[in-house]
Amino acid sequence: MRLEPPGGMARRQGFEAGRKEHESDDDMNGNLSKLTSFHVTGIKPALEAEDAGERSFRPALFAGYGDLTKLRYDYPVVLVESAAGSKFAQSLSDIVDGILREIAPQGAAGERLRKHVLKLEEELRGLVSQKGGASLLDLWDVAEKSLLTRTEKAARDLLRDSLERARNALHVDGEVLDCDEATPTRFITRGWNAVQAAKIHAVKKRIEHLVLKLSDILRADYMKTEEARSAEIFRASVGTAYDEAFDFSAMSGILAKERTGDLLPDSRRQRVQAALTVLQAQRFHAPLHDFEQTVVRQPLYDFVFDSCAVALEAFRGRLPEMVEVIKAMSIAELEIQNLYRESRHEPFFERFDEGALGPDDLALFPSYLICLRGERIDPAEAGRIFELLNSDLPAKILVQTDDLLRNLSLSAGQTSSVGGLELGTMALGLNKAFVLQATNASLYKQREQIVNGLRRDGPALFSVFSGAMPRVAGVTPYLLAGAAEESRAFPVFAYDPAAGPDWALRFRIDDNPQAEADWPVHRMMYEDRDFQGTSETVAFTFVDFALCDGRHGADRVPVARSDWHDDMIPVVEHLDLAEGHAPDKIPYVLMVDENDRLQRVVVDDKLIRAARRCGAMWHSLQELGGINNSHARQLLDREREVWEQKKAEELAKLAKRAEPAGDASPAVAAPPPAAPVEATIEVEVAAEAPSDEPYIETPRCTTCNECTELNGKLFAYDENMQAYIADLDAGPYRQLVEAAESCQVSIIHPGKPRNPNEPNLDELLERAAPFN
Amino acid sequence: MGIPVSECLLKLMAEGYTLDDYRGDIPPRWCTGCGDNGILAAVQRLCRDEQLPPERTVFVSGIGCSSRFPHYMNAYGFHGLHGRALPVAEGIKLRRPDLHVFVSTGDGDCCSIGAAHWIHAIRYNMDMTVLMHDNQIYGLTKKQASPTSPRGVKSNTTPRGTYLDPLNPLSVTLGVANVSFVAQAVDWIPELLYDIISEAYHHKGFSFVRILQRCPEFMPHQFDPWVQNPDKMLLLTHEKGVQLSAGLSKVYRKQEAHDPGDLHRAREIASLSEQIPVGILYRDSDVPCYEDVRMVDRLHTPDVIKGVLEEEFDKFTIWPSE
Repeated sequence: MRLEPPGGMARRQGFEAGRKEHESDDDMNGNLSKLTSFHVTGIKPALEAEDAGERSFRPALFAGYGDLTKLRYDYPVVLVESAAGSKFAQSLSDIVDGILREIAPQGAAGERLRKHVLKLEEELRGLVSQKGGASLLDLWDVAEKSLLTRTEKAARDLLRDSLERARNALHVDGEVLDCDEATPTRFITRGWNAVQAAKIHAVKKRIEHLVLKLSDILRADYMKTEEARSAEIFRASVGTAYDEAFDFSAMSGILAKERTGDLLPDSRRQRVQAALTVLQAQRFHAPLHDFEQTVVRQPLYDFVFDSCAVALEAFRGRLPEMVEVIKAMSIAELEIQNLYRESRHEPFFERFDEGALGPDDLALFPSYLICLRGERIDPAEAGRIFELLNSDLPAKILVQTDDLLRNLSLSAGQTSSVGGLELGTMALGLNKAFVLQATNASLYKQREQIVNGLRRDGPALFSVFSGAMPRVAGVTPYLLAGAAEESRAFPVFAYDPAAGPDWALRFRIDDNPQAEADWPVHRMMYEDRDFQGTSETVAFTFVDFALCDGRHGADRVPVARSDWHDDMIPVVEHLDLAEGHAPDKIPYVLMVDENDRLQRVVVDDKLIRAARRCGAMWHSLQELGGINNSHARQLLDREREVWEQKKAEELAKLAKRAEPAGDASPAVAAPPPAAPVEATIEVEVAAEAPSDEPYIETPRCTTCNECTELNGKLFAYDENMQAYIADLDAGPYRQLVEAAESCQVSIIHPGKPRNPNEPNLDELLERAAPFN
Repeated sequence: MGIPVSECLLKLMAEGYTLDDYRGDIPPRWCTGCGDNGILAAVQRLCRDEQLPPERTVFVSGIGCSSRFPHYMNAYGFHGLHGRALPVAEGIKLRRPDLHVFVSTGDGDCCSIGAAHWIHAIRYNMDMTVLMHDNQIYGLTKKQASPTSPRGVKSNTTPRGTYLDPLNPLSVTLGVANVSFVAQAVDWIPELLYDIISEAYHHKGFSFVRILQRCPEFMPHQFDPWVQNPDKMLLLTHEKGVQLSAGLSKVYRKQEAHDPGDLHRAREIASLSEQIPVGILYRDSDVPCYEDVRMVDRLHTPDVIKGVLEEEFDKFTIWPSE
């Protein structure tokens, strides 16, 4: 989310006129000291009777955002049924854009369709907040009807035509989600379902293949039994229509005499039967096909939990059964390929227990989805979360945070419990689990990362701020969630240990607004006291976000214009100053009241301290994400220093060399142009001196049999079926020369003769010469 | 354990195959000096190095000298009809995608009577390794001109010499839709022959390797200019293709760094006439395989088989009551 007003339109606000323009300097100084005292102590001053009341203020940058149903943004989101990968969630705007691309031609011709369909989208957006959980098609019907009813009769036919064409181009359906408290759980659960469906499908297919093959083994064995060749079985297989045409007893008598091979040994039959029973009775995967079940299956296991303790207990309770399934699958694979050897495998499977299960075995089972609320996590549960995240278990943990600022209200001496925000950054230290921190405002944008984390075999943590803060009235969860990202109160980051070996590949924070900056800044346009349009750059800090919360009404004081003073500085400037270095400066933020009038609001030091903590945490994340990394900066400084020193020395040398000659030519000559690179290159190599020893260039042998047929003892093939000289004593020099002559690729080099008394040596040497 | 238990056990159980395990009972009956011997040796080496279980490997062929190949391999084999090796191989792959399918075909078998099957097999892009033994002549039937015989070759069917320019199997293959792997090897550079066949085997899709192969009986000295002068050869090297050993680089000095993803340059290289290019001309791993596109998500359970059979039988059943 960006906090610019929609459509780039400037929204004009009246600057508070300021009623006390003629107050004396003494009064001003008095009020300033009261404000300073408030900033330091947090005790609210009695400046004006009308300001003392609890007025509703919002950050000034919120003024541009009113009714979100008029905006086209990521919500509502449709959780598409039976969609794979990140397509499980599609925003209504994306779906409508897709429809318009399909049905509305470019330019004026498609204008009517675009207008009508976008109107329907706006209608749908309004409906979603009232009819939570409804399907897109149901809402579409209601919106269409309501739109048609409100349209004048003359225009109704055209509208109906547009909507009908759009409806025909709508290819998806599913639950429609608005941005609220329930969103994170439903969004992640749907993503988990989509990932599980795809992942488990392959496993189910494999199990069913094994069941079928094991059944085939037993069936083939059964067909060799006398029972299978009995008259009754034959009669039953032919049926009643032609049973009188056959003499089944005679048939059985003939076939029973035929030798059919040995039956399976009992131990093997029992092993195959046992594996088959385990695979058919397993409760982890629903069968894909209607199989002839020989065992009764218990209800399937559930894999969605709302407590780590219960999930862990379930996992541990199921471990023995998982071991049995893996064992059965392994036995089945070996049996099907006829590779099971009792002497080798029996001892292995006897010792096969929970310790033998590896991550790849665990990946064959569904992952465990655990949905938690950050506010309700007690220390024991927090411990279990880390236990899971530090394991190889396929635990996917969603921690949803609604009240991001609850720890801010604690007084000194009180300890804060661990919530979603802390869990996210602490989990990074484990270095093992996938971690995604996001808010409701960016869930849709992060859908690919979500699928990525859900697909991984190991544990994953999804820490999500919903924006549905209990004490914030008048600001939608979407806006608040976006504000938490903007203010760095709940930054977005993803850590994927499988993405690569280093942090540069594993960690990313670039989905945050203006990730390079300490605080994002925006241009704000407003109307001043003289009704003239003006603008200024405003930063959105943690203080702006915290002041949305009604609980922090005591931490702020609106200041009348008459009390403005040079010592009042924007919070962002105050935060830039070192802590305690500007005791006389009073920090303020710009806010708007109920009437969209701009106010300076002074805040106490408690909020400033919280903002500093938040900024420090953001800097740490930036460093991890490669932005302003202190180690890199230090290294760069050192390297630059060395480089500058080296360059200075080189320049000094050059200058010295140039001096006596008095040459005015440039100190450094330009490098010669690079030689053109040709596509075809010619490799130059030094020729080797010829050898006196006979040899074959074995790697170049084409296995043509010429030499081996000449003398199979002198020449032989190696393990790659390429010739070499096997035994020089097995043949005379003459055969070496003949082989060299007959070799079509000329790779036999006869060298010099070993026996000086061999006949016709001179002639042979002459013939050998071209091959040496 | 880095891989699931069952896979680990199967790997442990894998038998250590040697080159002898892939030799058929019959010794090769190709002529002494025939390039087919080298191709056979390279393929047997590949099977051993990849430890392909013979019972999961199939060699399919048509008719011709090259098509005797399945007899000399200890694996499943199908010595088919003239020009029909590819449809048989496609049928095998479609029904048994778990098998390693190799096809041995010749210039006559593939480019003449089997040309239609060849074109469509490229388009289907089924996962198999096709070795086209190109000796530019019909050898088994004692010398008739084939589609790749150079112009002017005198043979039993062309006593005054052939009148037409030869067909270029590389250019044809590179011109067909869905082409995914095209390479050229020569039997007289065995090291590269092995490397190229190995790359073809590892490519998922229809891997077409044209292997120029000497026929000492009916086309003697046909390739002598290239065999005897390595500088007339052009070796294609690339990090995505094959790399040359130092020894090979020493002999074959004309080399070109050719990216197998560059179809345009592949077509230019395929059209070279003076030089014989050797290496991978083209590779695109993203072309879908027909067997994957047509994959049916259905197990052939006894019920399914019975249902299909019943349905078929019912079409011909004459019911007694009717």
